[in-house]
Amino acid sequence: MRDIFFDLSVRSVRLNFLRSMLASIGIVIGVVAISSMGMLGTNMQLQVKDQLSTGADTLVITNDAVRFGPPGSTIDSSSTSTGITKTQLLKIKQSAGTGNTIIPIYRSSTEFTLGSVNGRGTVYGLAPNDVTSFLTLSNGTNLDGMNDALVGSTIASNFNVKIGSRIHIGKANGSETRPVVRVVGIIEERGTSSDNVNTDNAIVVSRDWYTDHYGGEDQYTQVNVIVKDIDTISEVKTAIDAKVNKDPDSPVIRIQDASSRLSSITSTLSTMTTFILAIGAISLLVAATSIFNVMMMSVNERVQEIGILLSIGTEQGEVRRMFLYEALILGILGGCIGGICSLVIGYSVVGAMIGSTAYFFLPESIIYIPAGMIIGIVVCIISGLYPAWRASNMDPIDALRSE
Amino acid sequence: MDLNKIEEETVGRPGMTEIPLIRLADVSKVYPLESGDFTALNHISLDIMEGEFVALMGPSGSGKSTMMNQIGILDVPTTGELYIAGKNVARMTKLERTHMRRDTIGYIFQKFYLIPLLTAYENVEYPLILKYKKRDTTGKADAILNSVGIDRVMSAHRPTQLSGGQQQRVAIARALVNDPKILLCDEPTGNLDRKTGYQIMEILVGLYEKGKTVILVTHDPKIAEYAKRTITLEDGRIVES
Repeated sequence: MRDIFFDLSVRSVRLNFLRSMLASIGIVIGVVAISSMGMLGTNMQLQVKDQLSTGADTLVITNDAVRFGPPGSTIDSSSTSTGITKTQLLKIKQSAGTGNTIIPIYRSSTEFTLGSVNGRGTVYGLAPNDVTSFLTLSNGTNLDGMNDALVGSTIASNFNVKIGSRIHIGKANGSETRPVVRVVGIIEERGTSSDNVNTDNAIVVSRDWYTDHYGGEDQYTQVNVIVKDIDTISEVKTAIDAKVNKDPDSPVIRIQDASSRLSSITSTLSTMTTFILAIGAISLLVAATSIFNVMMMSVNERVQEIGILLSIGTEQGEVRRMFLYEALILGILGGCIGGICSLVIGYSVVGAMIGSTAYFFLPESIIYIPAGMIIGIVVCIISGLYPAWRASNMDPIDALRSE
Repeated sequence: MDLNKIEEETVGRPGMTEIPLIRLADVSKVYPLESGDFTALNHISLDIMEGEFVALMGPSGSGKSTMMNQIGILDVPTTGELYIAGKNVARMTKLERTHMRRDTIGYIFQKFYLIPLLTAYENVEYPLILKYKKRDTTGKADAILNSVGIDRVMSAHRPTQLSGGQQQRVAIARALVNDPKILLCDEPTGNLDRKTGYQIMEILVGLYEKGKTVILVTHDPKIAEYAKRTITLEDGRIVES
């Protein structure tokens, strides 16, 4: 059995169909904004999480160059060092325990020329046997000769690199006295990895070649420790910290594991998602004003009808219910249309902004559609509260007299 | 309708109790205005027994409508006491007053005041839904509509699709459907032509004959002649009863 007050509300919405639809469009926009923005943020987080999960078994150790110690202290010589020293590396090896792989890495930014095309990327200096412990080649062989180099997938595809291609390293100066490396292998795509070795837009050379041309021998940019048993990663981290950072107030190295990096990045992305959701919420606020306006118009146009209802024995709660049903109908209309539009628009936005919709239909992403719909409906009901209260508190005599 | 016959029948009607159905005890209604207080009802005392047919007459501004609003529990007195069916209205909660309006009083207005979004049938069914919280499955709404001359085809129409006379018949059916003790009729023929007006009055007389207490506000002395008792108001006071 249908509630007569619901029937009255449906008929009122039908009677003012165009006005009701226009008010609902505000809710549609609000729901689309909230759902699409939420899905965009979540998809970004999911993608980054997925990429960072590569290398989750790795500790990344860098020089704590930015730390200046407690207030009043002077800058320690070790903390102004530009890299991990040979002594520190030795201590890391001693404290890391057996079975874990220690990979000292040199890194620098560089310009390069491939054929006649200039580019910019990162140069990594690695020992050949370390390359195979965490990088996978999609083509070619590992570093062998002094001038051998591996290139990342992005450089390989953008510059149409083939095995045997030659790369001039350094800024183009016209004289072509720059050092040249020969590509012997292409590294498989890694994306943004949590081990802080992002090879897609990089050239990997041997450590000797690197120090010959960039200097800084035994001043490693970072040292990665790949732990054999991932459950021991915290213990290894503590052991290295205790051995190298002897003074806790003036640590000389910074040790990061994937989880702390991941939580730091996801926290940033989460803040960003909240921010863009807040922008979406503003549009719902505008929609709420529009619904409030329509509901007030509905009450003002139906004063005499309200007077009739109250005078023949309709309870105040029943009058309130009738107007709240009307707000609910507007909310359901706007919410449902908004939900459908969110699916289409959200999918397009995620595809365009992130470049992948692989995570779009995952529960943590798609949940934003029903959440947006529910928020839209709740906003409508809240907007209808005052008009409904006003209608139910009218004086029946005054209401009947109104024209 | 033979008016003399009604008079004869009303005197000593069986089933009538000695306790007044409506009692106004020194009732005043004062409206505060910027220009000063306006007294619409001035110390009115009045008893109306169950089964009476009373006409309220008087010039504009005499207090007829105010008295109707008091008896109809749409308003409460400023001073004095009003009893409906033995209950002191001033001591009732808002919800109790609403329920009394729904169950004890049937309203018939000059402008019909049907709910425009509902059909004639739904307008009559509406008070039943208010009272029983469910749709009418007993056929009561249909039967009452039929008794006032509205057939099934007509009852499917919205108020705007009906003539004035038909709308007033529907309004009477709506007023009667919860079997109220009191029928309050505020100028029920005021928006109708003379012939239709008399037809409506015949219906009201029929209801009076069946034991309903009918209170009628009118300007028209010919219409007032249908009533057994006439109360004339002037400046908020009863000048003739």
